Amino acid sequence: MNRNTAAWLLTAPALIPVLILFFGGFGLGILQSFSFFPLIGLDTPNFSAYTEVLAEDELLLSLVLTLLVSLSATFLTIALAVTAALALRSAERGRRGILFLFQFPITVPHVIIALGALLLLSQSGFAARLTAFFGIISDSTDFPVLVNDRLGLGIIYVYLWKQIPFIGIIALSVLQSMGNDYEELARSLGAKQSQVLFHVILPLMRPALLPGSVLCFAFTFGSYEVPFLLGRSYPSMLPVLVYRYFTNFNLVQRPLAMALAVLITLFLLVTVILYKKFLGGRNRL
Amino acid sequence: MIDLRLKGVSKSYGKNTVVKSLDMKIASGELIALLGPSGCGKTTILKIIAGLQQPDEGTVFFGSQVMNSVPAEKREAVMVFQNYLLFPFMTVEENIAFGLKMRRTDKAVIKERVNEILALIRMEGMGRRKPSELSGGQKQRVALARALVLRPQLLLLDEPLSNLDAHLRDEMRELILRVHREFQVTTVFVTHDQEEAVLLADRIALIFEGNLHQFAPVRDFYERPQSERVASFFGNSNFLKGFCSGQAVETELGAFKTPLTGENESGRTVSLMIRPEHIIPGKGEDNSFLCPIRSKIYMGSFIRYRIEVGEGLWDVIDGPEARKGYEEGESAWFTFPPHMIWLV
Ligand SMILES: Nc1ncnc2c1ncn2[C@@H]1O[C@H](COP(=O)(O)OP(=O)(O)OP(=O)(O)O)[C@@H](O)[C@H]1O
Ligand SMILES: [Mg+2]
Repeated sequence: MNRNTAAWLLTAPALIPVLILFFGGFGLGILQSFSFFPLIGLDTPNFSAYTEVLAEDELLLSLVLTLLVSLSATFLTIALAVTAALALRSAERGRRGILFLFQFPITVPHVIIALGALLLLSQSGFAARLTAFFGIISDSTDFPVLVNDRLGLGIIYVYLWKQIPFIGIIALSVLQSMGNDYEELARSLGAKQSQVLFHVILPLMRPALLPGSVLCFAFTFGSYEVPFLLGRSYPSMLPVLVYRYFTNFNLVQRPLAMALAVLITLFLLVTVILYKKFLGGRNRL
Repeated sequence: MIDLRLKGVSKSYGKNTVVKSLDMKIASGELIALLGPSGCGKTTILKIIAGLQQPDEGTVFFGSQVMNSVPAEKREAVMVFQNYLLFPFMTVEENIAFGLKMRRTDKAVIKERVNEILALIRMEGMGRRKPSELSGGQKQRVALARALVLRPQLLLLDEPLSNLDAHLRDEMRELILRVHREFQVTTVFVTHDQEEAVLLADRIALIFEGNLHQFAPVRDFYERPQSERVASFFGNSNFLKGFCSGQAVETELGAFKTPLTGENESGRTVSLMIRPEHIIPGKGEDNSFLCPIRSKIYMGSFIRYRIEVGEGLWDVIDGPEARKGYEEGESAWFTFPPHMIWLV
């Protein structure tokens, strides 16, 4: 038995359930999205779920909101994480403590953070009461609307909290493996500090940060628990829309959920492929 | 072009003192080798000159100007690093143009200068390639070009030849010499290979553990080394301890005549040294001794004897014209001409 076969056999116990769950579940989902759902008497596949979903008024608003939230969460994540990594790199004292704080959020589930944000930032939350108590605002309802708000600020906040450390640690390790050489070289060639940053350090980090940013984007675009807790009910973000269709007591809505889920998956797939095609292949070290 | 002066420059990392009170003066247009074993502080010295490291003590002068507080990017000194460090996300052209672009040089001028320099390094037509598509030798040349295109006053090269194989090394050496002739740029290059230093440099600064041991024209390292250690680094292994006695050095083998010592130095202990190729097989007028031959190796264009001199073993190199038929095991006459003897 060669090493390859052995490797396959050894990973099989882990791989098979994943494959069954993923492709099995996904396959059923796709069937249902074409309104093939014999359990409730739908046995002729058709496109009706897709046409109905696409005709939905909320869809466009929902798409815009989802894009807005996931793009801004991704960009802010990258910007803040890189800034933090650059600062941490040159920090000599207190570095370990900061690194610990940095790693801590990674271990906390999104839902917990979302609930925490709710407790902290809602108008009846801790921050509102505290500022009202100290007379900074006259009444807790004067506290800015930061959760369940129109722009998804609360959602973005939670994603940032969770993702900045994740990307930050990637950025930090890239910076460290890069060393000072490129920076010194660039300065010797006459680059000022800001030029070193924009013309050398950031481009060198790009290949490592792009996959991370695609991951952030895909995740924020496709996950529902945070927007479910911290978003508005109308328009809601796409994954929440799917969830609403899916949990509707009327099983006839099930194909709508599946159709929308398939559309989201396709959108993300195309995004990743475009990314690979236009950005992924270049800039290899 | 400028001349460069280091005055009392020291640098430590923590408790580890890497450069120790270094004094050096390099004239405008010179080609200088910083030579020394790995870890002796060569790169650190180069970085101090480039402004990438601050000395703990001492002063760096370019001409008469004190440079200590001038940041690297404002110095007319460009450093080429040990491991090329081409920017992987830029083409060859973009790499070469980097410094000019940072100085906001006019685009047309950049293009012209880049093409000029591509021709100089014999890489016309490769400007659009990525560094990953270049050979080691080509990368090294681009790294050099990236510095040269800035027409620096001072060129600092860190081990420019060490990553190259023998054949490419010759080519690169040619290029550095050509560049030096053409631009007359004051050049300091680092190497741990004495042969490389000898082939390239006007003068060599030999450094051990952060100390400058000898800074002199190349010949001096062979003929007038300042210490046994310097001599050994240049392949001198023929030493014999003794003490001065009039115009001779008394050793366990006998008295070696030499013009280098006089009456007033009598009694001083010295190491007597002579290069293997300066020893003449056969009996002469002065300084001839009978020495047992330990081994004889035919090296193609010359013969190398290893002979017993007192307690030690000396090398003798016998060129083809003076070939004597000495054999291993016999004792034979060797002459150590007085004017070839050096004392350290
Ligand atoms: N940033 C640094 N921090 C601490 N120690 C350093 C640093 N840079 C160099 N050193 C130490 O200083 C000494 C000299 O280093 P340097 O790089 O100048 O040597 P070198 O002569 O260039 O060696 P090589 O021929 O191997 O390149 C070494 O012992 C090295 O470990
Ligand atoms: Mg070095």
